Amino acid sequence: MANALEMKVSQPARLAEPVLYTADLSSFAEVAHAHLDRLYGFCLRLTTDPSDAEDLVQETLLRAMRAYRDLRDSSSAKGWLFAIATNAWRDQLRARGRQIHTVSIDALDADGDEFSLFQTIVIEDPFPYSDELHLDFLRLFRDEDIVAVFGSITPAFRLPLILTVVHGFSCKEAAGILQVPLGTLLSRLHRGRKQLERGLWDYAVTNGLVTTIDEDKP
Amino acid sequence: MIDCREAVRRMWAYLDHELATQPVTEFEAHLETCQRCCGELEFSRQLRAMVADDERSPAMPSHVRSRIETILAAGDVPSGEPG
Ligand SMILES: [Zn+2]
Repeated sequence: MANALEMKVSQPARLAEPVLYTADLSSFAEVAHAHLDRLYGFCLRLTTDPSDAEDLVQETLLRAMRAYRDLRDSSSAKGWLFAIATNAWRDQLRARGRQIHTVSIDALDADGDEFSLFQTIVIEDPFPYSDELHLDFLRLFRDEDIVAVFGSITPAFRLPLILTVVHGFSCKEAAGILQVPLGTLLSRLHRGRKQLERGLWDYAVTNGLVTTIDEDKP
Repeated sequence: MIDCREAVRRMWAYLDHELATQPVTEFEAHLETCQRCCGELEFSRQLRAMVADDERSPAMPSHVRSRIETILAAGDVPSGEPG
């Protein structure tokens, strides 16, 4: 199977002539404005770093501008922009000598996938006097905590989670954006959810948001 | 009849409306008899809502917005700025 994450993506060339002529440019700007905030949110969750997110939004828009004539249907613009952002991000990682490893991860043993946050909260009982144990746990998390937890999820699993849960794409649409088969998407999504659950718990413990029975833990 | 383990496995897909009719029927039949899974479903729903809430994503900083506006107006990165 061709690995879509290893796909070659053309680098944007600096062109001497204008990328888009005035009418196209204002139409592109309209499309971009409609999705700008969500695109930034996507880039931030993807990179988990404000300065990287800034670069990624800019690079995405430059690439999108150059490919704008290929966009047939403006109702699919959001997915189109997110796909460009995903490819641009992969290229940025590759340029830094990092990659989104996928094959080895997909083949990993699934033992770690059985973690249950719901169950862990019951067992560890971090709020002994609460009758809203699980809700109290969720209330611990501020916005920046959630961004940080997302950052701890393996990128290949983080992407499907961001696309479906945060941005409301269906699994089929997300598979299209990431150019992977639906079955692969579903299995990565499951892994992503499990890592999210574990990530929230580990984050709460590491940052002292909860105290656990095992006090030797950091 | 599905067990708790299988019900939990289907929970997020259920919340994503990604389950087919038959798995949904089995899942809901399990919930009718299992208080524990009802509790976990509610927790998953709230957890999902917490991470899904776009409002919780930090807004685009104004300096980024103005840089983007310049690019959208000019059709490229203005010369003199780093690409
Ligand atoms: Zn059950």
